[in-house]
Amino acid sequence: MDLSLETRQESGRTIIEVGGEIDVYTAPKLRECITGLVDEGHRDLIIDLEQVEFMDSTGLGVLVGGLKRVRTHEGSLELVCTQERLLKIFRITGLGKVFAIHGSQSEATAQ
Amino acid sequence: MTTATQTEGDVTIAITRDPALVRTVRLVAAAVARRAACTDSLIEEIRLAVGEACAVMIGPDESDAAPEEKIEVQLQTEGEFRVTVTGRVDGVDSGFADVGVDPWALLQGLSDDVDVVETDGVTRLTMSWPL
Repeated sequence: MDLSLETRQESGRTIIEVGGEIDVYTAPKLRECITGLVDEGHRDLIIDLEQVEFMDSTGLGVLVGGLKRVRTHEGSLELVCTQERLLKIFRITGLGKVFAIHGSQSEATAQ
Repeated sequence: MTTATQTEGDVTIAITRDPALVRTVRLVAAAVARRAACTDSLIEEIRLAVGEACAVMIGPDESDAAPEEKIEVQLQTEGEFRVTVTGRVDGVDSGFADVGVDPWALLQGLSDDVDVVETDGVTRLTMSWPL
């Protein structure tokens, strides 16, 4: 499955719902999406990974790059993820402490 | 281009350095792991590690990749699940500093036995898991 990206606004945040596989081939599409949104003035992003079937370090790198980008504009980038297979990757790389990871979109937007 | 050969217990796949083909290798690795009766969690680890190793070989900037160079992935299931990824790369960790994530940390977290040897410009990365 290729990468799918859907964006919408809610409670002053921009939610990006990601589906499919984020790997060395598809990660540039996610990077372009995040970069484009930040350049358009979207500073507070929530990236929902619940429909992601696979993610490698290239995908993690895009998320880290996005976090750096929004922080330079005093914004935020938070994640929605409950899948153990993805949470394990965050733990192994130490990125579980870098990102705010929520259990649902409603939990993320309530912050 | 992707070619695959299978002998007794071993599967070898050769791909060009096209990021789009890494998914194909992951699928084959998962299928071989499933045939070797690995648990679901181990299959997932192997799938991720094999994709990660291929991504390391291709590099973070695909425009730098020499498309004519092949990456060979050998999957062996004799006694243990052993993955050997071989390719000609210009320093397997070059360029990743800008990405913000160390792929080696992920590989070493996925397998207790990760080894990299570079000989005459050819890098050979091996990983194994007990069966």
